Amino acid sequence: MNSEHIVGKSVPRKEGRDKVTGRSQYVDDMVLPNMLFGATVRSQIPRGRIRTIRFGPGIDWDEFVIVSAKDIPGKNCIALIGDDQPCLANEFVNHPEEPILLMAHPDRHLLPKAVGAVSIDYEPLPAIFTIEESERRDGIVWGEDNIFKTYLIEKGDVDGIWEKAHHIVEGEYSTGAQEQLYIENNGMIATFDAAEGITVWGSLQCPYYIHKALMALCDLPAEKVRVVQMETGGAFGGKEEYPSMIAAHAALLAIKSGRPVKIIYDRMEDMAATTKRHPSRTRHRTAVSRDGKILGGEIDFTIDGGAYATLSSVVLSRGAIHAGGPYYWPSVRIRAKAVATNAPPHGAFRGFGAPQSLFAMERHMDRVAREVGLSPLEIRRRNFLKPGQTTTTEQVVREPINLEKLLDRALEVSDYHSKKQRFEKENRCGGKKKGMGVAAFLHGAGFTGSGERYLSSVVGVEGCADGSVRVLVSSTEFGQGTKTVLSQIAAEALGLAYENVSIAQPDTLEVPNSGPTVASRTVMVVGKLVQSAALGIRQTLISSNLLRETYTAGEFRAACQNYVAAYGQFRSWSRYEAPADIFWDDQKYRGEAYAAFAWAVYIAEVTVDLTTYSVSVNDFVALQEVGKVLHPLLARGQIIGGVAQAIGLSLYEKVVWQNGRMQNCQMTNYIMPTSRDLPPIRVFFEELGNVYGAYGAKGIGELPMDGPAPAILNAVEDALGVPFDFVPLLPEDIMDGITASSQASFVGAAGGVR
Amino acid sequence: MTDSRQSRARAEISFVVNGQARTVHAYPMERLIDVLRQQLELTGTKEGCGEGECGSCSVLIDGVLVNSCLVPVLQVQGSSVVTIEGLAAGEKLHVLQQAFLECGGAQCGICTPGMILAACHLLEGRLEPTTEEIREGLSGNLCRCTGYRQILEAVAEAARRRTAA
Amino acid sequence: MRSNPSEYEMAAPGSLHATVSLLAREPGVWIPIAGGTDLMVQYAAGKLPSRKLVSIWNLPELRRVEVAAREIRIGAGCTYTDLRANQVVGGEFPLLHIAARWTGSVANQNRGTIGGNIVNASPAADSLPALLVYDAELILVSVRGERRLPYASFHTGYKKTLLAADELVRAVCLPRRFAGHFSHARKVGARNAQAISKVCIAALGRLADGVVDDVCIALGSVAPVPLRLTETERTVRGKVIDSDLLLLAKKAAATEIRPIDDIRSTARYRSAVAGNLVAEFLNRLNSERIGTERGGAKEVLAKWNCLPLEKAMESILPCCGSQAWVRGMVARRPLSNESALLAASNETWHNLTPADWMEAFRSHPRIGESRPDDSLSTQSRTVQSVEWSAQEQRTVADSEAAVKIALAEANREYERRFNRIFIVCATGKSAPEILDILQQRLRNDTETELQETAEQQRQITEIRLRKWLQG
Repeated sequence: MNSEHIVGKSVPRKEGRDKVTGRSQYVDDMVLPNMLFGATVRSQIPRGRIRTIRFGPGIDWDEFVIVSAKDIPGKNCIALIGDDQPCLANEFVNHPEEPILLMAHPDRHLLPKAVGAVSIDYEPLPAIFTIEESERRDGIVWGEDNIFKTYLIEKGDVDGIWEKAHHIVEGEYSTGAQEQLYIENNGMIATFDAAEGITVWGSLQCPYYIHKALMALCDLPAEKVRVVQMETGGAFGGKEEYPSMIAAHAALLAIKSGRPVKIIYDRMEDMAATTKRHPSRTRHRTAVSRDGKILGGEIDFTIDGGAYATLSSVVLSRGAIHAGGPYYWPSVRIRAKAVATNAPPHGAFRGFGAPQSLFAMERHMDRVAREVGLSPLEIRRRNFLKPGQTTTTEQVVREPINLEKLLDRALEVSDYHSKKQRFEKENRCGGKKKGMGVAAFLHGAGFTGSGERYLSSVVGVEGCADGSVRVLVSSTEFGQGTKTVLSQIAAEALGLAYENVSIAQPDTLEVPNSGPTVASRTVMVVGKLVQSAALGIRQTLISSNLLRETYTAGEFRAACQNYVAAYGQFRSWSRYEAPADIFWDDQKYRGEAYAAFAWAVYIAEVTVDLTTYSVSVNDFVALQEVGKVLHPLLARGQIIGGVAQAIGLSLYEKVVWQNGRMQNCQMTNYIMPTSRDLPPIRVFFEELGNVYGAYGAKGIGELPMDGPAPAILNAVEDALGVPFDFVPLLPEDIMDGITASSQASFVGAAGGVR
Repeated sequence: MTDSRQSRARAEISFVVNGQARTVHAYPMERLIDVLRQQLELTGTKEGCGEGECGSCSVLIDGVLVNSCLVPVLQVQGSSVVTIEGLAAGEKLHVLQQAFLECGGAQCGICTPGMILAACHLLEGRLEPTTEEIREGLSGNLCRCTGYRQILEAVAEAARRRTAA
Repeated sequence: MRSNPSEYEMAAPGSLHATVSLLAREPGVWIPIAGGTDLMVQYAAGKLPSRKLVSIWNLPELRRVEVAAREIRIGAGCTYTDLRANQVVGGEFPLLHIAARWTGSVANQNRGTIGGNIVNASPAADSLPALLVYDAELILVSVRGERRLPYASFHTGYKKTLLAADELVRAVCLPRRFAGHFSHARKVGARNAQAISKVCIAALGRLADGVVDDVCIALGSVAPVPLRLTETERTVRGKVIDSDLLLLAKKAAATEIRPIDDIRSTARYRSAVAGNLVAEFLNRLNSERIGTERGGAKEVLAKWNCLPLEKAMESILPCCGSQAWVRGMVARRPLSNESALLAASNETWHNLTPADWMEAFRSHPRIGESRPDDSLSTQSRTVQSVEWSAQEQRTVADSEAAVKIALAEANREYERRFNRIFIVCATGKSAPEILDILQQRLRNDTETELQETAEQQRQITEIRLRKWLQG
């Protein structure tokens, strides 16, 4: 056996060479013979009935393939959880940019004009755009009551604690929409053949989601739908469910034309028409004891799902479960709901509800601290969950996590105390105010509750003719390191060299359904299955007497070669089995929500410039306990990238809405951080292991999204003494907040001659 | 040109691409990025925004970094263009490519070709750039995955190796 | 890409003469395109107003800078990179130099031209306020010849200019009379790079006998055109700069500007920040006069700011033994005060690589010993740093034998595990405390321990910098 460990080392990225040489094949790099280009005609209004569709003059319409809802062979919906989202609007539209018609032509340059030449006459209907409008039910735009889903989490006796409380602290916190802004826009290529069925290639996270959607849309059996993932230029959840829509469109055009069809969105279309992070509003009402301990409380968590249900119920679930943060709640009532508005449906985005509810929790803790008269550090210390205690869903914390020590370590490496001292002095004069902010949180990895059991993921490992092994998963690579880490795991499990493991391109013809590449589950859950499937290969070779119990890498390769020569290529499968000691009650929404939580403390140092009211983050510490770090360079890269994205959410990325449509749908006006905007983001890990994850790993992909927004806003409040409870927080908002604040001692930038 | 039909025809445009002389027949207002990707089948240059904001389409024209989505191909007549495909010498990677691999500078890879060319341009002009200079030199290239840190480290490492060599 | 290239024509006559002849034959039909950084964005959005373009990219007559005794003539075809590289622009017209750095990205600076920016006439363009305060004049050219007019009169309304349908901007002329002025520029955008400004200021000033002798202030993004604040200038001229004058100046500015709400910002914000920027400029102008009068830490810094490169590096090396840190700090000069110095140090430190960190680590002696290991690099060890190390580790030197022995043991274990000496910010810590810390950190993995050590070094550097400032 190879005695040197591969897991835990920063081995070269499996597909890295192709990426740095420009050889990687993304969907727009692929050209098929006889290919057409597709485009989408979309609704210009937020809600209404389609009266007439006219194809205007100046276009040779005979040259175009046109598809409408009537051309859909199967069900006119994008099958996901509910089936309420049409693939193409038939009679009614419910959001701006809703797809109505599709068209294709061999010359992609003719499409924009053709799309513009289709004039649609609507009978507009009243539309709603905010959570409040939706709750008020002035207009019903979905179902009976505009509510996609509700959850109720109850623990202990909430109604009885108010009279015991020494303090009752209330607060309302909101987060805006956020665009994933993967640098590669959405794209798909589809072909159709009566014998083979539909094949699609594209930029995507979940091949089997698309597979399921196309089966229903095209009324085809499983073996007649094939989905292949191409190199994907960033996803962040924005390519979890949306690609089913664009795949459906390409497929319909391919069916109608009998030719391959490529649809690539340009940036304006991608931003305006596809999913974004759910806007949220959280209301806290907390009963606190005299010495600052949470006795209980009510949390009201609401998210705006846009016009159709899509994944809102799952985002809601995760947000609700994380709403209590890493604290001990003796009692709590969490009421969560997802409501409908007439915006393009909101969808998956890294964090998936947790950044929203954790933003509220961590801002609220600073408010509680202030009202009780304790520091933000002390209030947290007194309420941190300890091993043996239960979470809001009554999950027992079974691992030896010590959040106080985690906090101590974060304070030390961020030099928190000495900076606070220094800032207090420096803030007394000068046009710049500095502050420190802390956020503590947890993040559950894998699907919630019974989700993993329901997914029932399958993984394969194959022994190849040349003695190498190949991993077969539907888990996709989009920068986070799937290919690298799953190969590491297989190599480690078998004692092989990393170079002797390959991983198949996710192609539903070739790979089993190992579940979607979401929920920070790939390394932890799928990785563990890769481990066991790999061991299955070994077992086969040992049982065939081709290999001894202990062996060298060379002996393994020889044994594998011999086996294949004798019996042909062989595979070992492993299916997910829910651990015997994880119980989740879907009815009461209680129990073990996740097999494992990762824990974190993030600390931000900010400067607020009173001349421009802008906030810059000068230093950022991200400390997290993640079970085990399987690849240090990749892990660090994930955290830094996630923190950067969350800094965007906090201070830069505002979606400007007008009647349900994103107005700033260009990179010039939707502001994400450049290399000159980010502080050094310093990453630290702790490792407690995880019996449910491959080699002790927990998921890490999403957790860096949870901490920065509250840490930064806590720091801004520390600097200014003025609280802000929404993100994104722009200089314009800070100026308004400072002006409105009644702090008379506040001195503006030019308050005196220096 | 007096004949308007003639002047709306494709033009013959000759320029050097990655050291090779090429001639394309293209409309003058075809974007350089499209000519590279489609006619010349050099798909390493990527389109992320079409407005010169993301830098994914960066190439070098006569040694100078530009966003190829903003360049009409007629203006490239007689020039020398370098794309990502022109950096490696056969199987031997350019020092920047090697450094990106070792320092985790590429995650999803879509910004990587443009980023590497921007870094290339920076290093041509500066022997040992400071971190601030690297950040400024790359500030026209957006990356959504890495938070830039490991990219900056890769460029600094490449600079160091080049000096040492 | 929403335009169809087959519907567009481009002429490339190759000379200024041929270009203006073409424009004269069909005025208003041919859009001159230089680098295309504005026009190609419109084209991609399907919004170009005409289908005919004439390329003026790289025309030799337009892409040159002529330096005469009284003025410089910047060809309209000069790119922002050309401007950044030009010595006279950098030396005598720093506001234009700074604005060139702000414009877009390096790639866009390599193609965008000053002429293109002027003709595009966006009130948010970065260089236009600088041209206003430098009293620029434009040379316009057509088949009818050349004409010269003050740039201040060129913009007549939002994206409307005095340019005739058959004319080109040939050059921008800047009088060479601002070398003695204090200059100040600041751009407020949504982020630090690639941002369209929300407000920006370009300003010049000169004091004589304690009062404002000359002042020129221009703002971008606060009106339909780039705006020279003539009223505000009048309010300030001839006066002493005090807090009353700042308020007057802000009031005057508020009456001159006409900001709007748009997709990027609000009128309210622009108004407030514009006032703040004017006040900030006047404050800085005033500080210029006062600055030389102060001493202490500021004096140490002021002197260090002016030292030649080698001496400056030598001076600060004892604070941190990493050459890369030293170079980074020196590159950040001038640093104005302790706060800026420490911020620069922290940022520089955090942006170094592990190799640089190691170099700094190696400059320390083992804790409990007074001299750094002679087998390691001597470059980063100086007499001063040895002295400071001794001060920092004083408590250890004075501690009991038993603790010293335990420390020595633990140190050796640390070195075996991590291949370098143990570093901790010892100031204010007792020997037993240090031993405790050492034992805890022995349990860290390599990556974590590297980060911890880096943090300790950073703290040490900070303490040393404060000592250094005391001279």
